Amino acid sequence: MSASSAKILVIDDDPDFREAVTAILASAGHRVVPASGPDDGKAKVLAERPDLVLLDIMMDSLFDGYALCHAIKTAKEFESVRGTPVVFVSAVKDIAGSRFGFHGGADGLSAPDDYLDKPVKPADLLALVDRFLSR
Amino acid sequence: MTLSPLVLVIDDEESMRDSCAQILVRMGCRVETAADGEAGLRRAGEARPDAVIVDLKMPGIGGLEVLDAVRALDPQIVTIVITGYATVDAAVEAMKKGAYDFLPKPFSPDELRLIIGRALERRHLALEAERLRREKKLIEDNVITLVSHQLRSPLVAVQQYFEVLLAGMAGRLEEKPREMIRKANERLTGLMNLINDWLDLAKIDKGGLVGKQRPLDLRPLLEKQVEFLTPLASEYGLVLAWGESPVGLPAALGDPASLEQVFSNILHNAIVYNRPGGRVEVRLGEAEESVVVTIRDTGIGIAAKDLPLIFDEFYRVSRGESSGAKGSGLGLPIAKKIVEAHGGRIEAASVLGEGTTFTIRLPKAPPENERR
Repeated sequence: MSASSAKILVIDDDPDFREAVTAILASAGHRVVPASGPDDGKAKVLAERPDLVLLDIMMDSLFDGYALCHAIKTAKEFESVRGTPVVFVSAVKDIAGSRFGFHGGADGLSAPDDYLDKPVKPADLLALVDRFLSR
Repeated sequence: MTLSPLVLVIDDEESMRDSCAQILVRMGCRVETAADGEAGLRRAGEARPDAVIVDLKMPGIGGLEVLDAVRALDPQIVTIVITGYATVDAAVEAMKKGAYDFLPKPFSPDELRLIIGRALERRHLALEAERLRREKKLIEDNVITLVSHQLRSPLVAVQQYFEVLLAGMAGRLEEKPREMIRKANERLTGLMNLINDWLDLAKIDKGGLVGKQRPLDLRPLLEKQVEFLTPLASEYGLVLAWGESPVGLPAALGDPASLEQVFSNILHNAIVYNRPGGRVEVRLGEAEESVVVTIRDTGIGIAAKDLPLIFDEFYRVSRGESSGAKGSGLGLPIAKKIVEAHGGRIEAASVLGEGTTFTIRLPKAPPENERR
């Protein structure tokens, strides 16, 4: 499939969803690092330095995905991993209900690099990973 | 909240400060002291103590003024006054200003311990109540979002497993089970749509779905929808295209996020209730006071008897037994509520077997020079 394999951090509080997504990514030879929530995810972005972050939006609290994405894009503690692409993977539209607004990030917060609706189509996910890998 | 409570003692008498401090430290408190009102207020502003013990009679800024200032700083700080001249008047005055209690001089260590213990307990309860109130408000404000998340999460997980199975990523699947999983997945999609629509409807009824309205060029909004839905149209073997629409139309007054949903719902219907080789056409125009969006399909059409009912909740035109994903029966009622919340109108005209035309009229934004 893809010429190279990536290290992908999957931050999602649903273990079943993580398992299913891991199966998709593993089928193309990618390595998955799972994280079970925003705190775990935050630590692993820094410790694992993934090639790509797949980020759920609603986890422990309402919108921690937005907050973590914004932090990765702007906060000083994430300086060392600043270029890491972040992709929202979520079943929520944005707070206002807009699919396209969601794509752009919430009010005043940094936008993700891309987004995918849950449930994820395997082909869409793998194509997206290849797109970011080739950058 | 494992940090021990911080108590600020403001008294011009050094011996009083020291003895209070000694007793409080032995109780497990952290203590700061100040020798006059001015220094005390400065410390209160910097250190944000849990409690302040203040002598009423001091040179310079007196105890009552300190009470006022501390209250203005943070009404949750509990205050206790020391009254050297144990008059009822002074104590009453202090209590009126929001002091929690008073200590008449001379007082015993036990009296101080009792009062400060009660004061800190009260502060703890007040802060806890405040925290719970904030949390409750956050949940209340977002209850629909939370409910929808909880309803959707298990469905998403099941569907994600199905996607993996269907893609053969968990081993090869025979034709028969594959077909059944595909059908099961479609039914779940239908359930997911129903949940989404039902919650959107609840949001509209709470007044929460239609956001702030502003002058809005509808063309790019519609272009995005057309682009987004073109793959679906191709899947159904039809053409989704723009019809003749003049350029330079005035702006409408609208909330883009909710209007996006109106157009998405109607375009979606126009595609799925169409026939192979058919067409969906989007046009923009204007009338005297409104911007007009027309969405016309070459679909199966709606019978005259059904037409007045299509905007009712859960009304679905009967078309015999059909398998697969079904609409929720809520797309059009949602569209209607959103359009009407904008002060606009939505209408449908149809010929059975030939197609349906939806017309959405949204009020024009006032001209530039009349805004603000």
